[in-house]
Amino acid sequence: MKRLPIFLLIALLTACSSIDCPVQNVVSVQYAVRNSDGTSLSLKDSLTVTSTRQDGDPVLLNRLISKDAFSLPISYSHPEDVLVFTFKHNNEKVSDTVWIKKEDIPHFESVDCNASFFHNLTDVRYTRNAIDSLVMKNSFVDYDRNTIHFHLYPKSSD
Amino acid sequence: MLLVGQSASAQLKFFALQKDSIPLFRGFAVSFDLVGAAMMQLSDYGQYEGALRINLHDEWFPIVEVGYGKANHEDDPVTGLRYKTAAPYFRVGIDKNLLKQKHGPYRLYAGLRYAYTSYKVDLARDNFPDPVWQWDTSFGVKDEPCSYHWAEVALGVDAKVFGPFHLGWSVRYKRRIAHKEGNFGKTWYVPGFGVSDSDLLSGTFNVIIDI
Repeated sequence: MKRLPIFLLIALLTACSSIDCPVQNVVSVQYAVRNSDGTSLSLKDSLTVTSTRQDGDPVLLNRLISKDAFSLPISYSHPEDVLVFTFKHNNEKVSDTVWIKKEDIPHFESVDCNASFFHNLTDVRYTRNAIDSLVMKNSFVDYDRNTIHFHLYPKSSD
Repeated sequence: MLLVGQSASAQLKFFALQKDSIPLFRGFAVSFDLVGAAMMQLSDYGQYEGALRINLHDEWFPIVEVGYGKANHEDDPVTGLRYKTAAPYFRVGIDKNLLKQKHGPYRLYAGLRYAYTSYKVDLARDNFPDPVWQWDTSFGVKDEPCSYHWAEVALGVDAKVFGPFHLGWSVRYKRRIAHKEGNFGKTWYVPGFGVSDSDLLSGTFNVIIDI
C-alpha cells in the first residue's frame, strides 16, 4: 500500500506525450519500366523528366539509365500534373508529354507533423513518340513506396 | 478440480457484498475533475468533466462521467497548422473498493469504463508553396465528422476530508476500441480521450461531494 503512490507517480511521469510523425513521409508516384511481355526492363536510353512552373522547368528526374523503376514527385494540390519525358539515345532526344489528372486529399497526422497530401489518380494521357504505353496499375498515392502506380512501356530503341 | 473450485470460490467472493448491517444503497456522490480544467486553462486543450457515482454498500460504485472537451491549437510554430474541435463525451463504468475496511473514510478503487464521443474537426494551414512546383497550396478541412470509442482501466483513491467532502485522484489507462476519423488521416485531440496515440495514460484529481 505504501508503494502505491510511487507507482502512480511513475505511471504519470511516463505518460508524457511523444511526437509520432511517420519516418517515411515522402509522397511520390512509383513507375516500373516493362517489356511488352510484362517482364522487367532496364532503361537502355537515358530518361530525364521535367515539369513546368512559373519560374522555369524543374528537373524531376535526371538522366536515369539502366534502372527498371523510378519515382517522381506529385504536386500537392493541382488538378493535373504535366510531365515531359525525354529519352536520349545516341545524342538523339525524343520527348513525350504526360498529363496526369488527380484528386488531392489533405492528410494530417498531428499538429507536430508537416501538412501533406495523398492523391487519387483519375486519368492519364500521353503522347507516343518514345512511349508505347503508360498503364495505371494503382490509383492511390500515399507514403507507400512499394506500390507501383504506373507501368511504363517504352518503344524499342533498337 | 480442487483448484478450479477454489478459483470459482475466489471469484464469487470478489463479486459478493460483505455481510454486515450496512444497507446496500448508500447514496450518490457528484465530483468534478480539476486536472482537465487546469489543462483547459494552461494549455490549448483540455476538458471540463463531472461525474455521478452510486454507492452500493461502499463496495461497488457504478459511475457516469460526462464532460466537454475542447482544443484550439493556433498556428503551430513549426508546422503552421491550426486544429480546432469541441464536443461533449461520456463514460460509463463501475469501480470496486479494494480495501478490506470497506466502510472507512478511505477507498482504493479499481474500475473499468466505456467511453464515447462524436466530434467535428477544423484543420487549416495558411497557404504555402508546393516544394517542387512552387504554386500556392491551401490545406485544411472544416467540420469533418469523427467519432471515437474507447475503454479505460482506472485505479484511484478517495479520502474523506470533512462532512460530505472527499478528495480523490485516479490514473487511467486508455485503449481505443473503434474510431471514425474522416478522410484526412488522424485526429489529434479527441474530446475526453486526449491526444490520440500518445495520451494512453492520464490522471484526474477530483473534488467529491456525497449527496
